[in-house]
Amino acid sequence: MRVPFLVAMFTVLGAAPHCLPGGPAPAAAHEVRPGYLELRETAPGVFRVLWKKPARGDMILKIDPVFPDGCAVVGIGSETIRGGAYVARATLECEGGLTGKTIEIAGLETTLTDVLVKVYYANGLEETHLVHPNSTSAVIGGPGSVVQRIGAYARLGIQHIALGVDHLLFVLGLLLIVSSPMVLLKTITSFTLAHSITLGIATLGFANAPALPLNAVIALSILFLGPEIVRVWRGETSFTIRHPWVVAFAFGLLHGFGFASGLTAMGLPQTEIPLALLFFNVGVELGQLAFVLFVLALIRSFRTLEIRWPRWAQLFPGYAVGTLGAFWFIQRTVALLGGM
Amino acid sequence: MISLVFSAHLVTTGLGPLFDGIGHAVVTPQDLLPVIAIALLAGLGGKAYARKVLFILPAAWLVGGLLGMTLMWSAPLGTTALSFLILGGLVVADRPVSEKTGMALAVALGLLHGQMSGVEMQAAGIGLVGILGTVGTLFALVSLVTGLVVSLERPWTRIAVRVAGSWIVAVGLLYLGWTFGTRG
Repeated sequence: MRVPFLVAMFTVLGAAPHCLPGGPAPAAAHEVRPGYLELRETAPGVFRVLWKKPARGDMILKIDPVFPDGCAVVGIGSETIRGGAYVARATLECEGGLTGKTIEIAGLETTLTDVLVKVYYANGLEETHLVHPNSTSAVIGGPGSVVQRIGAYARLGIQHIALGVDHLLFVLGLLLIVSSPMVLLKTITSFTLAHSITLGIATLGFANAPALPLNAVIALSILFLGPEIVRVWRGETSFTIRHPWVVAFAFGLLHGFGFASGLTAMGLPQTEIPLALLFFNVGVELGQLAFVLFVLALIRSFRTLEIRWPRWAQLFPGYAVGTLGAFWFIQRTVALLGGM
Repeated sequence: MISLVFSAHLVTTGLGPLFDGIGHAVVTPQDLLPVIAIALLAGLGGKAYARKVLFILPAAWLVGGLLGMTLMWSAPLGTTALSFLILGGLVVADRPVSEKTGMALAVALGLLHGQMSGVEMQAAGIGLVGILGTVGTLFALVSLVTGLVVSLERPWTRIAVRVAGSWIVAVGLLYLGWTFGTRG
């Protein structure tokens, strides 16, 4: 299936923030990790605070919660850097409780990070807010419904795949290889199944993959597809072209570990993980499905309009996927070796 | 009087300038509806016209955006309402327009609205990446809409497209009223 120029343009556009000066580093394509603020009520107006924010070595994201007037940290807290996150614990006393008051995450507006704010009340009820860079505060209004939490996790999943340009490039590479709707269905299903497996395994804590080598191998998976796309264009064949679902499954296992970084960094409580895992994955799948449908709709439109693309434009998508894969692989490998 | 100051309606997604540019194109009706109108018009005009608009409009938008970023001058707000009325009206009329007129409309739309976007994006510090996001999105949007309209074969579907044009005209009238009534 040949995808002409527009998809290539989007390929480059999608990758642009990761390649242009001032954009996020390519090695950080999975580093849009959310922060996590947990407030657990231990007595009326008294909360045990857990604050986690992404860190890389000694570099800590400069975001911090600002508690409302009438709240004060009491006693001696603790802070550590552990597992790629800065973790702080403290006790907060709020005169009159937190209901109706606003918690702000200072510095969030200059990042690409979200922060999940969870409040556990002494009566067993709970409340969840997802705070974004363009809406940096949450009004604590009482226990949130399951529907609200589902929405928050699904949105997080959609956002994770929308910003995970490398995942989308891999999917685009698969779309460029597949030859029929049935093969496309099998390939996308394989990829979905595989990354769901490792997303679950990683989120439930059975296994994990260190970020730097994982990101390098994910880039390698994109680079791997580049020559295959060129082979398709030349009318040649290979194992990957004949059985793209096998490759999709194999590399999908790796991509699942990448998706998991969106959840594991939050260090959610065990009771929350099943709901979060399910709907985060639903969000990822929705985002991926939307991308696939978008590309297929474009292909159909181009065929309808009978656009005759010049040779270089036909070749461009394959070379764009391969070149970006190579660029990221080299950059991430250098980062990996530099970090050893 | 029509206000000479174009009010900023830039979308901040919090996901970076590319997504801000994409978001701007998708959720800004002042830009989105005229683009849909010209895509409908191009689709009604056939494959050849649709192909030309598909490439000319985003190119003109990019040039307009760069001009807007450089000159920091915006066309009057009423331009938006006129775009709605002219392009929507042509869709409703469903009369063949000459190739030169059709191209001129695409260029004019791209330049005028592109420079408005350019001014806003420069002011918001989003810049060229944001404009590229908008231009890419418009390219996709025009291709999807023109592809859909060109593929329509039953007579009633052509009427449905004209009805869509009439809604754009209606929105244009409302927008014109809003422009004169509250902005003047």
